[in-house]
Amino acid sequence: MLPSIDLRIANIVKALEQVVLPALTARERLAKDQVNLCIGHLQMIAQQWRWAAAFEAGSFHAMIALAEEMQPSVDASYAEELGQAIATAKAVEGHDLAAVEHAIVALGGLIDRIILGEDGQVALAPAIWEAVLSYGEKQSLRERTWFAATGLDPDRKELPSIAEVMAG
Amino acid sequence: MAIDMSEIGEAPPVDRVDIWNREDMEPRIREILDRTVRDRVKGPYAAKTDMEVVAMLERYFARTEGLESIRISGVSRMAGGASKEQFAFTLQHEGDPAGERLVLRMDPLEAISQTCRGREAQVHIAFADILPVAPVRSIDADGEILGQPAIILGFVNGVTEPSEGKGHGVSGIGTRYDDWAAKLAPQFVDTLAQVHRFDWRSADLSYFAAPEAGTRQAPIWQVNWWSQVWWDGVVQPVAMVTYAERWLRENAPVCDAPVMCHSDLRLGNFMFEEPSGKFTAVLDWELAHIGDFHEDIAWAIQRLFGTWTDDGTFLVCGLIARDEFLSAYEVASGNQIDPVKLHYYEVLNAYKCAVIDLGQAMRAATESNNHQDIILTWLGSAGAVFLEQLVMLIRKA
Repeated sequence: MLPSIDLRIANIVKALEQVVLPALTARERLAKDQVNLCIGHLQMIAQQWRWAAAFEAGSFHAMIALAEEMQPSVDASYAEELGQAIATAKAVEGHDLAAVEHAIVALGGLIDRIILGEDGQVALAPAIWEAVLSYGEKQSLRERTWFAATGLDPDRKELPSIAEVMAG
Repeated sequence: MAIDMSEIGEAPPVDRVDIWNREDMEPRIREILDRTVRDRVKGPYAAKTDMEVVAMLERYFARTEGLESIRISGVSRMAGGASKEQFAFTLQHEGDPAGERLVLRMDPLEAISQTCRGREAQVHIAFADILPVAPVRSIDADGEILGQPAIILGFVNGVTEPSEGKGHGVSGIGTRYDDWAAKLAPQFVDTLAQVHRFDWRSADLSYFAAPEAGTRQAPIWQVNWWSQVWWDGVVQPVAMVTYAERWLRENAPVCDAPVMCHSDLRLGNFMFEEPSGKFTAVLDWELAHIGDFHEDIAWAIQRLFGTWTDDGTFLVCGLIARDEFLSAYEVASGNQIDPVKLHYYEVLNAYKCAVIDLGQAMRAATESNNHQDIILTWLGSAGAVFLEQLVMLIRKA
């Protein structure tokens, strides 16, 4: 692909840094703030775009794995619905980003319902508590790595690279 | 030792608070959250231009105060503002040709946190003689005249971070105070103590309601507030957020004596003058409510709001070592910190931050309803930091 996505992102960043920002007067505070954030987002997107579909598919597979781990311990009233939801999720094509995002909402919604247990009326087995915590730990590490370039994570220096996370 | 299950079955309830009654929250908070959902479809929202602000203010002062020959000048958008649109301006009129410098703090259609300008005004007025706060000039709590809710404050001089400082970041995060910390830390601790010692029962706080002392209503009101924000705006399900909600309901502690909580007192939310370091204003009272003092302490000690010294010591809000902070607060306030309650509120605050970053910010940006959508998606990127905190804190509980 010519020009490549990387080259176009680099061009936009250069234009913003070297032409747009210097043209703004000190008074244009909102514009300056937003241009700087545009640059930050673009630099982050440059690190992420190659992995975007694979990253979202990885999140989806982790969610399916959580659902499967919950399956033996869920209340009987959820068992059939969860089984069907897992089967539906597994049929989704991993490379179709829109389909994956849609499926995350569908399966995630059911997982939420099970966790809330009809607002506390259905008990949650200890195995499910642990499964969710374990999933939360792995998923938060992936997402912190994905967005480490914001500089907002106080422990960003301890995070692996995106490539390392994707290598799994 | 064997547990007699019959004794557990007959154990009296902690109190009569229904931890799953989602309707149990401050009435004004309910109004604000309902208004958010109702108005969400009115977007997208665009940042106000200086000319629009001038026109709005001229109309406003003519109508509310009957001023004549009004001149609005020196309109200048203020820095920050991840939540509200803020403009400094000068108001002149026939009765005051010299003019006064003021600040318009106005709700965009949807912000990273949806709050009430009326509550903010009342708490500014209540603390006017106690702490440095900007004086309230005018209030349009529901935007009936300006078109969007707003508060107009007196202009206060000062800085939120040292002019020559090394660390700067969005919303103050990452600010390094270095040598300034010695001057600022005692004032920071004293401010927290003053807020918590405040006699809210004798103040005009009609926009507020107080949870019942000696019950779990204080934390449950907070869980109901923020879970409502989450479910009203959720863009994508996050199992850890849902899990935390259940944990917070089932582990809510009794609040013995509700106090006024600032709820966002951290680095970036106080102003000081240079070179004295004296506080000139305590800022951003929009999340203030009556609740458990542990909530404010747990908020201040969050890792995201702290910095590390070169030798690796964590400084609460970039100012003071954690243990030193907790001890100094106990001395200044007379309150004894309960480590179990402090831990609960650390979980609650991580939950609130996750809801704000991954829920409300994402919804507002998705609807294009903010003047700085790009800041919302930037801050939303920090959501996973709080998910990791939730895992760690709940495991430790």
